[in-house]
Amino acid sequence: MKETSLKKQFLYGARAGIPVVLGYIPVGIAYAVMARQAGFSIIETCMMSLLVYAGAAEMMAVGMYAQGASIIAMILTTFILNLRHIIMSTCVFNRMKSTRLGFRLLSAFGVTDEAFAIYTTVPEKQGTPAFFLGLILVTYSSWNIGSLIGALASDFLPPLVTASLGIALYAMFIGLLMPGIRGNIRLGILVIFTAVINTVLSQFIPSSWALIASTLICAAIGVFFVDLKDEEGGNEH
Amino acid sequence: MNIEILLLILGMTAVTYIPRAIPAVLIDKMKFGDKFEKFLKLIPYTAMAALIFPGVFTTDPDRLYIGISGALTAGVLAWFKKPIIVCVLAAIGVNMVLYAVIP
Repeated sequence: MKETSLKKQFLYGARAGIPVVLGYIPVGIAYAVMARQAGFSIIETCMMSLLVYAGAAEMMAVGMYAQGASIIAMILTTFILNLRHIIMSTCVFNRMKSTRLGFRLLSAFGVTDEAFAIYTTVPEKQGTPAFFLGLILVTYSSWNIGSLIGALASDFLPPLVTASLGIALYAMFIGLLMPGIRGNIRLGILVIFTAVINTVLSQFIPSSWALIASTLICAAIGVFFVDLKDEEGGNEH
Repeated sequence: MNIEILLLILGMTAVTYIPRAIPAVLIDKMKFGDKFEKFLKLIPYTAMAALIFPGVFTTDPDRLYIGISGALTAGVLAWFKKPIIVCVLAAIGVNMVLYAVIP
């Protein structure tokens, strides 16, 4: 009985990851094409996605490699770019406090912007550890399938399709945000405020720092004027 | 395999995994107050706002309307409680039509 329900939770999570596939596969292809042009072999291209699993950082690194940047500079950039995950991971694991350390260390590998966004906006009873595992299995696989396709055959998708898929992950974030702010004007105001702050900050400091700063500052401000009802985060997947 | 690239990949793996893993290790040793719990519950909303803006405007850096039309499509459909996947597919569809129609 318990096993079937675990399986069901896992499948819910896997299903919730499907919108990410539409974003990860084309971006994975784009990354791999860039990596191959920068001089990475097929194996190196795929290995980076399998081990690092952070799209923006991988793209940045192969771009820097092509320009002859030093290894230290590329690793440091990756670190700064991915520092935001410490915030996201805190939110994710705050919902999984009672799980085993080994399980948490394994699932930590799958904490991306998208997995974080989906997992932390499902209702608490639905967002179980098995759900998260299903979710990250689908997202991780799609990123690596995209990388493999791009590494093997650069011109797989016609340009019209590739260009149009650029909106996929943004559309997903909007779809995840809306249910929460729909019935909560103050939360809506906080979201708009954060968007403005991040847009302004990005003009003056690197966007990876702007993202961290505006996320933390605006959430801290929100503590004092947003009311979170208990049914908040009620996305149905 | 190129040893330089191997070192690069391993270094990137470490600096990416560590920030993801630190909260996983520490979370059961931490006890948050109500205010901090609320702060953590708000982070998904502020983080997503920051992930969308201003990035969505540069979906296609040469065509501002691509990002805006896609975001509006997703936003309207999400407002009317359509599933996420519908929002995503519709936004892609609108952009595909725009790319096909406007040279």
